[in-house]
Amino acid sequence: MANILTQNDIQHVDYKDIDLLKQFVNPHGRVMSRKRTALTAKQQRAVEAAVKRARFMGLLPFIQK
Amino acid sequence: MEMETNLSEEGGVSRVYEIGYLIVPTVAEDSLDKVVGEIRSSIEKAGGSFIAEGAPSLMRLAYDMTAREGDKNVDYDRGYFGWLKFEASPESAIALEESLRTNASVLRHIVFRTVREDTRAKIKAPTLREVKTPRTTLAAPRREEEVSAPVSEVDLDKALEDLTTE
Repeated sequence: MANILTQNDIQHVDYKDIDLLKQFVNPHGRVMSRKRTALTAKQQRAVEAAVKRARFMGLLPFIQK
Repeated sequence: MEMETNLSEEGGVSRVYEIGYLIVPTVAEDSLDKVVGEIRSSIEKAGGSFIAEGAPSLMRLAYDMTAREGDKNVDYDRGYFGWLKFEASPESAIALEESLRTNASVLRHIVFRTVREDTRAKIKAPTLREVKTPRTTLAAPRREEEVSAPVSEVDLDKALEDLTTE
């Protein structure tokens, strides 16, 4: 998997972009590791923060059975 | 991500914030404006200026949220989600958070610092997916379409009979 954010020239990760964030969570709703996402450390942190905000607002699940 | 901090004319700092809110689904569609108006007025009162806004729309929640209503707990599986981006002083952001917390029709809210530019990705989801083209389909030459003449029932039966008798 290549770095989606760099590929599509995305500078900011918004918690409302759930379609984008869904690319970085596995079917259980957990954030994928950097090995799988191939993001830079900075991007990975931005994605993590966005996923957590989205979870809190009920846009993404905390867990999915 | 570089956060913006500007000095306003009065010498106080002014920062860009975004709030997201969930309004309880029991609020009628036409009284949503009233609830949003309350939020907007509390920002305006504190001297904030709006940058962008997303109107609340009813959506299904990823999980049930429990809210305390009176003296019992109520579970909600949907809510009106909306957001606002504005510039204000840190003190007014704290005051706004307090007003959101006490607002009974706001199920949940989030306030955080952000940047002035639009942070939403321009690209739609389907184009984000990587298109995997298997090598085989690329390498294999296209098979030329076979020209099939209409086959009569009798011929077909005869051919089948030949096959089965063997």
